[in-house]
Amino acid sequence: MRNRDLELYLQMADGNKQSLEAIYDKYEKLLYSFVIKLSGDQTLAEEALQEVFIKLWTKKAVYDESKGKFSSWIVTITRYTAIDLIRKNKKSAVSIEEETDLPEQSDQTTEDLVEWKEQGETIRTAMNQLSIEQKEMVDLFYFKGLSQREIAEQCDIPLGTVKGRIRLALKHLKKNLSTGKGGVYDA
Amino acid sequence: MRNECDVVIDYFNDQLNEDEKKAFEAHLENCKDCQEELEELRLLTGDLPFAAEPVDPPEGMKERVLTSVFSESTEESDDEAPVTKPAETPVVPMSKQTASKSKRNSWVMRGLAAALLLSLAGNIYALVNEQDIAEQPEDPEEVTPPEEDEGTDQVAERVQLQGESSASATAAMINRDNGGILTLQAEQLEQLDGEEVYQVWLLEGETPHRAGSFISNENGDGAVAYSMEGLPEGIDWDAVAITKEPDANSETPQGNILLSAEL
Repeated sequence: MRNRDLELYLQMADGNKQSLEAIYDKYEKLLYSFVIKLSGDQTLAEEALQEVFIKLWTKKAVYDESKGKFSSWIVTITRYTAIDLIRKNKKSAVSIEEETDLPEQSDQTTEDLVEWKEQGETIRTAMNQLSIEQKEMVDLFYFKGLSQREIAEQCDIPLGTVKGRIRLALKHLKKNLSTGKGGVYDA
Repeated sequence: MRNECDVVIDYFNDQLNEDEKKAFEAHLENCKDCQEELEELRLLTGDLPFAAEPVDPPEGMKERVLTSVFSESTEESDDEAPVTKPAETPVVPMSKQTASKSKRNSWVMRGLAAALLLSLAGNIYALVNEQDIAEQPEDPEEVTPPEEDEGTDQVAERVQLQGESSASATAAMINRDNGGILTLQAEQLEQLDGEEVYQVWLLEGETPHRAGSFISNENGDGAVAYSMEGLPEGIDWDAVAITKEPDANSETPQGNILLSAEL
């Protein structure tokens, strides 16, 4: 699957629209859902996807194998794009808890998403096993993309301790996950 | 002095300005701790996107996104012929026609593309009349276009497209200093459903190249002007054809050829 991604990417970089469309089809739902998770905003999510694929198509974002798996790369690009839009729109005030109320939660699962569905449950469980403080760290750092200073202010903790707390929370999360299978990106 | 190692988190979250970023990246090259920390952050967060609950994207998002994406590349290489810039108008919709159909070309004067077509049409007609380069159209043109003296457009070829239906179309290839334009006007087209579009193709032997798409209005009229800049240069095109496509994104014809003409 990974090599297929690379193949598609290279064809796309060569100007093949169908390959871009294939990449789009494969990642649309994951990326869209991911941005919804980051922003809680459907309009912003569509906007973010548009920007991501424009970056791909116009080669403002260039992938090569040294950057790791394509799936990780495109998710990272999406995260940056979304966080940037959120910052611009100042619409970052949605907390993780509110997201469960979002409409259009999908119950159907396409084949590509089976893995995501399985792993997603595992990750959410692992997240829920974190302490409230650690969960907040992961949320503010990863899903909200805040700066250290913002996190320090929001959590009312010394700036110098933010990095350590983030790493601790993430390591704890990884430990909770390690009972599960390997990396979710492995195809 | 700030300690560069302290900004790993902000670098990861893309919270640094350009100068800070450059400074950190310079530092990163020589700081093993930071490299490891960054790698660790990537590893530890690698699974997190999957924490997102699957949400169905809204109806039509794919079309909207891809249309806008593909228009980007056109925009970049396309500074001359705004008709083909599909950023806002991936297909050229015809406006509602109120005038009688017998005024064969009057609809050209309306519609979104009117302003542009006007100047193109002006150039075509001016050349047809003054330089007699193109074949004479089979009917005398009823429209008197504004005379335009400037412009070095040259009609390379003008053809009548025919098919099995009653629909017909006229296509003209116009040479310009910086690449050609293909204009096409069709009438008595069948109504389209949903996302369907009429797609124009230029054929090089058996190989179709996309050459603009349009939708017809309720009277079955449609028109498009397409900048040929994006097409390979120096090709002696064999034919021009129109197909009906499920949407404006077909890379190769999905539908049968409705109208065609050899070039």
